[in-house]
Amino acid sequence: MESRNHRWKTDLWIDWCPGCGNFGILTAEVEAFKELGLDPTKTVIVSGIGCSAKIAHYINANGVHTLHGRAIPFAMGIKLANPNLVVVVNGGDGDLLGIGMGHFVALGRRNLDIVIILHNNGVYGLTKGQASPTLRRGIKTKALTKPNIQDAVNPIAVALASGYTFVARSYAFDIEHLKEIIKKAIQHRGSALIDVLQPCVAYNNVYTKEFYEKRIYKLEETPDWDPIVKEPDPEEVEEKVSKAWIKAMEWEEKIPIGIFYWNPHVDSFEERIKAEIPEYLANPPAIQEISDKEGRSIIDLEAFRVLFSKKIIHIKKNFQN
Amino acid sequence: MDDLLLIIGGPQGSGLETSAIVLTRAFGEKGYNVVADREYHSNIRGRHSYTHMRISVDERYSLAFPVDLFVGMSVESVFTHFMDISENGYFVVDTAFLEQRIDRIVSMEPSVKRRLRKQMQELGVGDRVEDILRFLENRGVNTIKLSYVGYLRMLAKKYDISPRRISRYMSGIAIAVVAALTGIDLESVVDGLRARLSGREELVEHNRYLIERVMDYIQGSYGSPLKLDPPKKLKNEVLVVTGNEAVAIGKILGGLRVQTYYPITPAADESLYLEEKMLLKANSKNLGGIVVFQTEDEIAAITAAIGAALAGARASTTTSGPGFSLMVEGFGWAGINEVPIVVTYYQRGGPSTGMPTRGAQSDLFFALYAGHGEFARIVLSSGDHMEALIDAVDAFNFAERFQVPVIHLLDKFIANSTATVPIPDLSKIRIERGSIVEGGVDYKRFSKDSIVSPRAKLGSNSIMWYTGDEHDEYGHISEDPVNRIEMYEKRIRKMELIDREIPDAKKAVLYGDKNPNIVLIGWGYTKCPAIDAIRKLEDKYSIAYLHIKLLAPLPSSLIRGILREDRILIGVEHSYEVQIASLIRMKSGIHIPHLVAKYTGRPIYENELVDAVERIVENKEKRVVLSYGE
Repeated sequence: MESRNHRWKTDLWIDWCPGCGNFGILTAEVEAFKELGLDPTKTVIVSGIGCSAKIAHYINANGVHTLHGRAIPFAMGIKLANPNLVVVVNGGDGDLLGIGMGHFVALGRRNLDIVIILHNNGVYGLTKGQASPTLRRGIKTKALTKPNIQDAVNPIAVALASGYTFVARSYAFDIEHLKEIIKKAIQHRGSALIDVLQPCVAYNNVYTKEFYEKRIYKLEETPDWDPIVKEPDPEEVEEKVSKAWIKAMEWEEKIPIGIFYWNPHVDSFEERIKAEIPEYLANPPAIQEISDKEGRSIIDLEAFRVLFSKKIIHIKKNFQN
Repeated sequence: MDDLLLIIGGPQGSGLETSAIVLTRAFGEKGYNVVADREYHSNIRGRHSYTHMRISVDERYSLAFPVDLFVGMSVESVFTHFMDISENGYFVVDTAFLEQRIDRIVSMEPSVKRRLRKQMQELGVGDRVEDILRFLENRGVNTIKLSYVGYLRMLAKKYDISPRRISRYMSGIAIAVVAALTGIDLESVVDGLRARLSGREELVEHNRYLIERVMDYIQGSYGSPLKLDPPKKLKNEVLVVTGNEAVAIGKILGGLRVQTYYPITPAADESLYLEEKMLLKANSKNLGGIVVFQTEDEIAAITAAIGAALAGARASTTTSGPGFSLMVEGFGWAGINEVPIVVTYYQRGGPSTGMPTRGAQSDLFFALYAGHGEFARIVLSSGDHMEALIDAVDAFNFAERFQVPVIHLLDKFIANSTATVPIPDLSKIRIERGSIVEGGVDYKRFSKDSIVSPRAKLGSNSIMWYTGDEHDEYGHISEDPVNRIEMYEKRIRKMELIDREIPDAKKAVLYGDKNPNIVLIGWGYTKCPAIDAIRKLEDKYSIAYLHIKLLAPLPSSLIRGILREDRILIGVEHSYEVQIASLIRMKSGIHIPHLVAKYTGRPIYENELVDAVERIVENKEKRVVLSYGE
């Protein structure tokens, strides 16, 4: 399907609150798709549950709106069955880092070629403003009855520790910046995290537009910042991960956005499977023929005897007992 | 002799599985029908386990007691199984066991020890192995004392094997004893060894030497008193498979392309076998590849399988009760989104962790009703290895034809037992994928034009949406009450369609007398003891077994035609409730007045079921609870 003339948004009325950060993410995402010339029929948006998850319906590409916390394993199944699809996960911080944290970590371990766009607003919006896993201890957003007594997780640090090979942060209302990061993440072959700082106008009266715009600075504008691993060299990897980790710790005064870490030298999960099944990418499981025209299994008797030879016993007819 | 039962008992990790596999192949090569069950604890090394085998001249499916031959590889096994031996049977122990006492066995559970000691006191048996042997000899049992260590030393000396490595040859002693007493020739045993120890010729040679020595001694002293008659019908070849492997083979035939799993007993072996078969290559022909994906948990396992199915691959996941408990939310998503996935569900003893390595059929209602809300599903069950293989293909066909999630419900008894089964007739196997389309512009994934909407794969030339919310024809969220009714009914009415389209032979089968006075009713592994029991009882009673394969949608009218009020109806199940009887009452209104239940985690044995039927028919007992087996 022709990408540039494609209408990348559906006609549905978007039911996010006016001023919601999701609008910025939606715009940046579809602009990135357009500029990359993606085919919407070969692109799949997989989302979880929550305000952010509805994005799957607003983008005019394949959309799979799944279960709370489970967007990543749904996406992994789609990608494994057809590695030629572009698979992007959109999910909130409660979704991906609370109920779905196990999957978030597991994706990094696999380096499967999936992009995670984390709508990070510090609250559970759709259930009316409870504290999410990225809300810091001691903060009281307006729907909380008292200040939060749980510590926050750091998505960048978790991604680095889990093995993501592209780790970045952007800001929902810097559409140009977010779009460019999304484009790079899609072009990267491996697991990518984009932590998108996103104000929630309804429930987060602490991490507001003003809060972020006062603190945010761009890593790419920082002298000598070079997050890209040049050679598959363990020492260089260690150095780049360590520097990224230190940047990930910055928050109160200054908040960095941009690419924290980018290592293009790690085998993707698809390549690991290809080592086992050479034709995996050329003829993926989703489109392989499994039967002939009459509906007979492509495993005929001859193939059956070869494949299961260890389980077949030939009976000795010269019976003596 | 036309039917031989034996037990080899010993600690977990002592090579019992090797013994069972080698012997199964050796007897199989001679054309015998073999069933071998593995009873074991959730443990890697040391706890008591045993192999229970049945070798017969024609088809038998179940296991039974007493056994004709017992080979004890540990002291614990001697005390555990001494009452399992038949009166003229052969009971073989290590001479090193003779002085050992029951109270010294550390691995035996205290309650088991107390129970056995009490039983031994009541029988007037002392607490040493020697006392057990004397007691058995007085009952007419033939006891054989063999110095296992002596033979192992002989082997060690001959091949200069270090003492540390010698224990791995223990299985050879058990194999030799069985082969000698049943008169199986050494060459058949060596063929079995070769298959088990593929390529490791040195080990084969060592074992051959050991086995030959032991066989010479046993046959010289005792002959081959347990010699079997020739097999009734000789096939050219057979498959020797566990239930897990039978399902895996069925899935491969059926076009499985993505299998997801999280390790769990007794399901994991299926995925392990599939991992060996990821590249489907026969001679130089490339037949595709299967992605076997070990996930981080069962939630990921089912949701990744769903994702793979949306992309168009035949996808399944494999688990048991605790794993399926975690999968339920994903299962419901597959229900509302009409996703063709297969969940292969091997039941084990519950609730919670329950008895992980023991069998049960107590998850029937869970499989039938798991998930909130109402949606169409198929629950298909298999009664033996051959059924498990064929049903694995049907499960995919049904899932794709009707676009519903399918549970293929099995149990540990089938999963972990090994059987000789015929090579499946591939000419009868068909792949039926239902309506798969390219979609095109303005594609409606959930078109209301038909109950089963034409399905496009993600990545076809169309755009589509899926959501766990109620949705419109495009897959977008909709809470419109009129749409709700239409979509709800579209999904649920598939149950009627499925009921109409699946042939009766795949729904339920009546075995035995076609016009019976007594009907046993069951599903799953119950088939095995039931078929054997009615064979034992057919001279005495007009009796049949109704084997129900399709549990959802339940073939109520078919069942009503057979379960007439003038017949003695007996529900049989490995559970407390005998859920199949409750289900039939609920769905067809028929009351099954007699129940046979077993919930020890051990299989129903042929002899137990024969007794239970006699008690019900002769004494009009309502409920018989079975408990045989350690």
